[in-house]
Amino acid sequence: MKNINIGIDLGTTNSGIAKYDNGKISIYKNPVGFKDTIPSVVSFRKGRIQIGEKAREHSAINAENVFSSFKRKMGSDELYFIKDLDKNISPIELSSMVLNELINFAQGESLKSAVITIPASFDTIQSNATKKAGYQAGFEEIVLLQEPIAACLAYSNSLNLEITSDQKWLVYDFGGGTFDIALVNINERDLKVFDHKGNNFLGGVDLDTLFVEKIICAKIEKATQENNLWSKIIAKENPIYNKLFFELLYKAEEAKKELSIKETSSIEIDFDELSISLDIDISRKEFESIVKPKFEESFHLVEKLISENHLKFSDIERIILVGGTTYIPYIRQQLQERTQIHIETNLDPTTAVMIGAAYYAGSKPSELIEEEIAQQPIALENNIEVEIIYEPHSKDSEELIVALLGESFEGYYRITRADGGFDTGLLKANKKIAEFVPLLEKTTNQFTLFLFDNQQKQIFSNPNIQITNGLYSILGQPIPNDICLELDEETGKSHMEIIFKKNDILPLKKTIYKTCSKNILRNSDQKLIINVVEGNAGSMVGSNLSIGYIEICGRNFEQDLLKGMDIELNFKVSESRDLSIDVYIGALDLEINEVFNPHQRKISIEKLVAEIKDALDTILEEIRREEQEENYEYLAKLKRSQESLTILYNEALENKDDAVTDKKYQIDELKKIYIQEFDDLVRHKHILFELDEYHSIKETFTFYLEKGSPRQKEEYEKITKNEKEFLQSNNKYLIRKKKKELESLLENIYVNQDESYINYFYMLRFKDPSDFNDSSKHSKLIELGARALDNANIPELKSVCNQLYHLLIVKPKRSDDFNTFDGNLGIK
Amino acid sequence: MNVIINQLFEIEKKASEQNFSGFERNLKRIYSELEEKGYKIINPIGTNYDERDSSIEANILNSNSKKITKVIRPTIYKTENDTLQLVQKAVVIVE
Repeated sequence: MKNINIGIDLGTTNSGIAKYDNGKISIYKNPVGFKDTIPSVVSFRKGRIQIGEKAREHSAINAENVFSSFKRKMGSDELYFIKDLDKNISPIELSSMVLNELINFAQGESLKSAVITIPASFDTIQSNATKKAGYQAGFEEIVLLQEPIAACLAYSNSLNLEITSDQKWLVYDFGGGTFDIALVNINERDLKVFDHKGNNFLGGVDLDTLFVEKIICAKIEKATQENNLWSKIIAKENPIYNKLFFELLYKAEEAKKELSIKETSSIEIDFDELSISLDIDISRKEFESIVKPKFEESFHLVEKLISENHLKFSDIERIILVGGTTYIPYIRQQLQERTQIHIETNLDPTTAVMIGAAYYAGSKPSELIEEEIAQQPIALENNIEVEIIYEPHSKDSEELIVALLGESFEGYYRITRADGGFDTGLLKANKKIAEFVPLLEKTTNQFTLFLFDNQQKQIFSNPNIQITNGLYSILGQPIPNDICLELDEETGKSHMEIIFKKNDILPLKKTIYKTCSKNILRNSDQKLIINVVEGNAGSMVGSNLSIGYIEICGRNFEQDLLKGMDIELNFKVSESRDLSIDVYIGALDLEINEVFNPHQRKISIEKLVAEIKDALDTILEEIRREEQEENYEYLAKLKRSQESLTILYNEALENKDDAVTDKKYQIDELKKIYIQEFDDLVRHKHILFELDEYHSIKETFTFYLEKGSPRQKEEYEKITKNEKEFLQSNNKYLIRKKKKELESLLENIYVNQDESYINYFYMLRFKDPSDFNDSSKHSKLIELGARALDNANIPELKSVCNQLYHLLIVKPKRSDDFNTFDGNLGIK
Repeated sequence: MNVIINQLFEIEKKASEQNFSGFERNLKRIYSELEEKGYKIINPIGTNYDERDSSIEANILNSNSKKITKVIRPTIYKTENDTLQLVQKAVVIVE
């Protein structure tokens, strides 16, 4: 038989829902927003029903349409008049709406049974009213549990306490709006509330207001010309003071939280309308002065409860804290000092009740027949035909979602966005639903449409409404090739990094940050070269079309440009394909902006010569390798490429100073064609080579990954995340980049392993003694190392290795040193 | 991270209130790094308040209030497992 498993804290101020699953409790988070709980508040405005945070927003200015604290009225005949619906509504109905909202937290799960908590003070009528609210919310089985019992269960289960004898616990529940205390008898068999007291109008919410009134306003008045500030705020005559109040209230809440951890907090107030610009320091002592009277009020009830039961504090085993107000250190301290009872602070007091309810639910068998649970929701969902119409791609900030319902429908609809940033609340639905929904930029926005019957019971949902903003659209013009930036590599060559991918939609813009790869001294002729090319990102740089080229010469510098300095690059491609490059070097405060358009090409003959030279070097390396393989047909093709490029190279050199004719354009064109031919010849082979290298390094990880730290494992996942995509990219630079990242990670894991020190020691041991500074120290260390190795004393071996390293006259290169190579372009 | 982003937001707000543009590039750089790390930060200042916007915690001055005139802290989304999730609601004043 299945257990109930669901526990609900239906609170006066806040409510929440949790689930027991295999010994563990998980709290359902609000899919709209991200909190564990929602305010128990419902608002009815202009046909819209909102529950929780959004409802509470209107409580100050629209009090007649916003309903809260209705739990206090459960079981009474009081009704609330809802102007918007022109009818009366009972506290039971309002509570069932909050419960329904909590059911929505468990998106998709069919919840039929639940444990709902009630205050210890609830009489039979109030308890039955709570049950009724549960049934109205669609539950078929409700079990009630007293809040203090739930809290005790949460602590005893979470702390794995073994209770072998009779104990008495005190549950001190100081919530947002109410205060309750209960005495609980606990033994190995059961938990029982044997007495309780409470005050329905004593809570923590007033503390923030008091904080603003008594402390913050007083300090502002002292430091400025303002008089009677609090009176002006509460008079509500001048909206400026209302605005100030909201800001102060928010800052008071933040400071209150900080004062729970620190002794002092400071509040910064910048309020132009009243020319207030202040820093206020507040000590915990000051804050405590407003907490004190509230605490005294609560403690008075504690003392009364204890004495009425003819008990002493020493009869109580522990105090269980519930409610957000109990976070305040003063309250914890005072309770401890004045009662000398052990105080439990291990659980979050704001969720303890729902956690306890879930523990109870996890042990309570459901009496419902299981088949019914499984079948009912499916039958319901299939009952209604819904056609949903929307534009899946959009450039706008909002889009229309239309839903046509097959038959006339009476109930509500609701649309939410999966990231938690949008929620329509409940709105009346009939045959047609039309709603403009806001879109987050440059991302896929996933919406869910829900339909509810008049009892707010979900009867339909479609979570697959996806609207993509800005990423691609049939309206825009895609770019035909990759647009890349040329960057230095440690081999002395260069590679391309994609700025914009083929098929990205114009207009485009991107900011990237790179570093300088060589020192360029001021007043020198050395240059920093920014070369933007269009073509295939996986091919050789020279085979592509240069569409933006900037040379920044040392002559223009007021200071030296040093290796490692940041270079900020802004690229923009307009719809008419103008490329604008904005280069900013922060260290020199140098900004250069150039716009290139398709009709105006800028060609540097020097760059041409360098690119041809690079290609010739690569061909030569390839020829040397292939000569050993005796692959004559392939060799002949390589040599043909070499010849054509050599001729072109000489031609380029001859025309170095030609500023008149079109010769350099012709050379550029031929260079692209020849390098492209060579690239086609070798690209496949080079990619295979990089793939082999990548796979072989990855294989090493099958052994080393488990030795890595969790962070290193995370890093590994990150590098290999889109593996399929980059391995099939046909881009050797990209595969090589990934391989290098893996290599560097592997090295970081390896250096922390014992065997790395053993290998390192052998390497140092067989080095010539003349490579070390102090020969007697050297031989002593070698001896100590050998002994440490024999005794498998790794910590000592590590220390010996470190000392030997410091004795080395020429230190071996570390992998980091390879990143300090000198580049040709000056940017990497 | 939210605390750091809120502080950055404060710095940016103060700089712009005092017409000081000296930090502009540095802030842009930091925001760009945050974006790389999956954060999306939205400042809703000057926009019309949409009561359906659950990324915002609004303090509404009166029943006719429409515009967001003050942002005390911004909205923050974070990409986790390829999906965007709200990690901080903006706190704003609507008047």
